Amino acid sequence: MILNLDKWKKDAVAAIDSQGQQLTYGEVRDFAEKAEHLMPARSLMFLLVENNVGGIAWTIGNICAGNVPLILNAHLDEGLYNSLYDLYQPPFVCVPEAVADKYDYEKVITCYGYTLMKTGHGACPMNNELSHLLPTSGSTGSPKLVRHKYENIEAAALNISTFFELTEKDRPLMVLPLYYTMGLSMVFSHFYVGATVLITNLNMTDRNFWKFIKEERATSFTGVPYSFEILNMMRFYRMDLPDLTLLTQGGGRMPKELNLKFAEYCRDNGKQWIATYGQSECTARMAWLPSKWAIEKVGSIGHAVPNAELSLIDMDGNSITTPNTEGEMCYRGKNVTMGYARSREDLLLGDERHGFIRTGDLAYFDEDGCYYIVGRMGRFLKLFGMRVGLDECERIIKGKFPGLECACVGTDEKMLVYLTDESKKELVKEELVSRLKLVASSFEVRIIAEIPKNEAGKTLYAKLENK
Amino acid sequence: MENLEKYNNAFVEVFGAKVEDLNDNYGKDTVEEWDSVHQLSLIAQFEETFDIMFDPEDIMEMTSYAKGKEILAKYDVTF
Repeated sequence: MILNLDKWKKDAVAAIDSQGQQLTYGEVRDFAEKAEHLMPARSLMFLLVENNVGGIAWTIGNICAGNVPLILNAHLDEGLYNSLYDLYQPPFVCVPEAVADKYDYEKVITCYGYTLMKTGHGACPMNNELSHLLPTSGSTGSPKLVRHKYENIEAAALNISTFFELTEKDRPLMVLPLYYTMGLSMVFSHFYVGATVLITNLNMTDRNFWKFIKEERATSFTGVPYSFEILNMMRFYRMDLPDLTLLTQGGGRMPKELNLKFAEYCRDNGKQWIATYGQSECTARMAWLPSKWAIEKVGSIGHAVPNAELSLIDMDGNSITTPNTEGEMCYRGKNVTMGYARSREDLLLGDERHGFIRTGDLAYFDEDGCYYIVGRMGRFLKLFGMRVGLDECERIIKGKFPGLECACVGTDEKMLVYLTDESKKELVKEELVSRLKLVASSFEVRIIAEIPKNEAGKTLYAKLENK
Repeated sequence: MENLEKYNNAFVEVFGAKVEDLNDNYGKDTVEEWDSVHQLSLIAQFEETFDIMFDPEDIMEMTSYAKGKEILAKYDVTF
């Protein structure tokens, strides 16, 4: 059975949510069997989930049963839902029971708090290897989907549980959404070792969130940079959480100062701090920085996860073998997904990547083989003939003004810096001018109400005017 | 500036609220935008304005206009 699910005792607890529901491994297996008979074999379904036990049961149950869920946010904007629905025409849609009445489809069954409905659309022919689909962006509902295969699930589960040294005693706290690749991979890797996933949809500022961590004795916390900004503001360091021994971070670069703060806190309090790197195109985690290097090599993504390989290529596609030389980072491993889907017909496509992907990230490695991401390929401008990294500029600004929100975009004519704080307008410009030694007119600072971001906290540059 | 004025200003800054809309019912249950980001921004405003540092417990409790005043009283900020 997929993910070793048949290996664990029937009454071993697979997941607990903050609403007090519980799911055993026996129930997961039974539900997987049931899901096989709820729909014709290999049915395409839209699965709109919340972070609760039912969301996990329906996701894992259907993947095991051979149905192919597109996992989406239950609170996805209606317009975005409609565009996806029209494009992919799923024969089945499953949503939380509480919102089922909003849909005009024929109800099939309700269990674990979710209602399965039949839309009337015909069966969708799909590739045999296709296991599940995820949106490329959690919140914008882009019609571009990532096509995963069964082998990706197994590989991600094995790799991740290996380097985190997960065991059945682990009780990871899951705040990341189930429809987000890193959240889903937490479920995969922990089910693979028979652990108990503690899943919640509570706000981290909610008293009950902290009650849940304490009462359920969470052993690890996985977050994106933004989650740690919240923990930082919540005075996490002053909380007494003896069971929590592992903090892991992914989902983009974390500001150096904050990264160090957590690394040092963990070192001083007998906890592990592990920064990771990944992409949804590779079933989440691709690289990790062992905690022994958390401080010394802060900002590094470390090396490839087990059973995988990172490499660099130069502009001409030749492999780079000398340390401290920048190139595009490439990845080889069984967790590399099959490719994208942009239409219903694309679900028939086979593996287009064959375990290899160019990440689109510019990086170098040091003498120990630890990788450092410099920026996104293409996130560069040429101002007065000088190559200027937009990500680097953001780091300069955030380094000088900790906590300041900013986003840099632009053309080779001019860089645009978006800020939300009017009072820093001139200071930011001065800082860039003095650090980059460019004329002030190369920069234009614009003030906006909010920097557009996805739910993982990554800036949505496409939403900002670049000239 | 009086404490009340400073207190109100924080809500104006964080929520873009109008002073005349602020009352004891103003809070997490009545204000749609009130999420963890807004709550923490409010905390940051208060800490800066009143030069204090909240305990985690109090940060979690900061869920309405009325509660905020109660909590600030513990830090000797009175209205």
